[in-house]
Amino acid sequence: MEEKRTDEELLEDLLEGDAGDDALRLLADRIQDDNRLGGRVRDELEFSEMLRQALKAEAVITAESVDALVESASLETNELIDRVCDGKPTAFECDRLAKYLRENPEAIGQLKHQLATDDWISQAISEARGEEAFVEALETRMWAETRQDSFVTDFAARLDQEIAIQDRDDNLVPFPWGVTIAKMAAVAAVFAFGAFMLAEQVSQKIGNEPVASLVKASDDVHWKGNLAPDANGGFQSGQYELSTGVIALKFSSGGELTVEGPAAFRVDEDGSAFVYHGVALARANTPDNAINLQARGINVLEQAPLIGIDARSEFSTNAFVLSGDGGICMNDGATCRSLFEFEAVKADYTRDKLVDIPYNPRAFSKTWELLSGVETNLGDVRIELPGTEPTRARGGGEVRVFVENESFQPAGELEVDLLPAGQFAAVGSNSGKAIETEGDLRSYLLQVGPSNEKSVEASLTFEHEVVGVIFSSDRLESSDQSVGSSMRDRGGDFSRVRGLDYGSDELLLSDDGRTLNLRLQSGGQQLDQIRVLVAVR
Amino acid sequence: MNSSDRELFVEQVREHHAGLRGFVRALGVDPLWVDDVAQEAFIVAYNRLDEYDHERDFGAWLRGIARNLVINERRKNARRKRILSDNLTDVLVSTSSVAEEEEREIGDNGLARMKALKECIATLPEKSLQMMRSRYEDDLSAQDIAEQYGMKPPAVRKALERVRTSLRKCMEDRLGLAGA
Repeated sequence: MEEKRTDEELLEDLLEGDAGDDALRLLADRIQDDNRLGGRVRDELEFSEMLRQALKAEAVITAESVDALVESASLETNELIDRVCDGKPTAFECDRLAKYLRENPEAIGQLKHQLATDDWISQAISEARGEEAFVEALETRMWAETRQDSFVTDFAARLDQEIAIQDRDDNLVPFPWGVTIAKMAAVAAVFAFGAFMLAEQVSQKIGNEPVASLVKASDDVHWKGNLAPDANGGFQSGQYELSTGVIALKFSSGGELTVEGPAAFRVDEDGSAFVYHGVALARANTPDNAINLQARGINVLEQAPLIGIDARSEFSTNAFVLSGDGGICMNDGATCRSLFEFEAVKADYTRDKLVDIPYNPRAFSKTWELLSGVETNLGDVRIELPGTEPTRARGGGEVRVFVENESFQPAGELEVDLLPAGQFAAVGSNSGKAIETEGDLRSYLLQVGPSNEKSVEASLTFEHEVVGVIFSSDRLESSDQSVGSSMRDRGGDFSRVRGLDYGSDELLLSDDGRTLNLRLQSGGQQLDQIRVLVAVR
Repeated sequence: MNSSDRELFVEQVREHHAGLRGFVRALGVDPLWVDDVAQEAFIVAYNRLDEYDHERDFGAWLRGIARNLVINERRKNARRKRILSDNLTDVLVSTSSVAEEEEREIGDNGLARMKALKECIATLPEKSLQMMRSRYEDDLSAQDIAEQYGMKPPAVRKALERVRTSLRKCMEDRLGLAGA
């Protein structure tokens, strides 16, 4: 059997790691008889190894990393301690110092005192790390985490009072308010008026390869200024001004940025983006997809899978985590925060403060509509923002679309209802089928609440192919866990009354598997839910 | 939780925040994330205030919470860590669990220490003060400061170290005087 296989097939198996003993023996025999084949196999294996190293970044040793290693290796212990105190040591330097400390335990206490002293000096000197800043940040975090707890009022009032007394008593390193105001004005002026000019003056290097490409745009897009995407939707490195409309661009890393006009933003060839003004949503399904994202006053240190930037105000920028968690710093680098899902912070750069604010992502309605991957063709449809919970509220015939999970792989077998494509048919009891896909899925939950309308009609087109539809109550419930739906914890009044009415509700999935048409009998107290699974990869 | 508990907590924030931040830093937390970790410790403490034994030293209880938070950092993946290095934190944390006195020395008297330190800073010569502000307020590296002052980076490092040492001595002297 192996004897009949071509050289190409044997080589392919070898590169994929699938070649068995017989195939390897056969390939070896053929190489002995054919020098050109031998050369080809060597080339392919060499290239394959290069690819492996290129894709596994940590395996690549660059000239810079070797230089850094040599420099680190030559540092004396006190220099290593200096590096650690500066807060910028390499992992190698930390390991060397740790080794030294293990061998010289008497030095540990000294280092700890040194680090603590360094921090106290920083607290005493830097306004951004002073008591007032710390307490204000703590106060807003407390407020964000305890919501309406009356503690907040007590806490704020008491601390304000105490700090006022303290300031009166020992204002020994004064930061007069007048100076602060002047600083605020200066910073505001720099940001409000200087940022654009500065960015303009920074070289607008026009390369040949686009750094990002336009993947979607609303109908009303209008660009202002010198730069606009090219005819193929390519974005060169530079600053763009979007007057109206919403656009989504994709970087070579796979990260996406959706921007709503009026907005000004910059993209660079290193895959970074800077939002000077406007509203933007950045998506990175994996850490490798992450964009190096900054906005006025904000540096996104660790990008959450879905993060929103609202830079419409002149004096502050808000950041919202709509999915996952990440880390954010002010541009000065002195103030950082971990941000978890459905949390938001305001970077008040006139006061160098990062404060918690309520999670209210309405500013991202339009960008989210474009990014959600659903387009409405017909009917009253609302794309719900992440963090919005499905409730039984009467919807007046409105179809609410929840993106339940942007990207997942079902843990076990996921059973969907049978829905033949291309024909409008009343839904009914069916034997179901296991979903057939090996890639990542995205799950949407469509919900029509109880209403006075007799029927609801809608048509939705999905960006990715629909690979499964679930409309029966049982399967909706059994799939909640697999898709990571927030419905899984609800049960109660939702259970068993969620699916469609057999015999009267109708669905049509288009032949291309992208468009779902609904014709639902929605009168009365019934809640209709449909889960739509699409293949994102 | 009653209002006296809340009042106690407010008092404790003021009393301990400076010391706690220094303590957190001394466990090898990245300076960028020191305040974040310390705030988290206060929030955990607030949420668990019912568990707090009023007979115990609040500062020690708070440090225990912070130490656990730092230990948990080692379990996070590299991108999410708020510490400089697992190995370094291992060394610094492992000793802190036995050296209670050392911990107390670092974590206690934050308010008094900060007051003393501010007094000491106020006595610094103008150039030293500017250099310290460049380092701690503007977060400039020794290299950047060297360029700003026309000095060599090692000289800047030495100068900063001298100022730090003198400030530490001044602070300890003042605390000693105050305690005497």
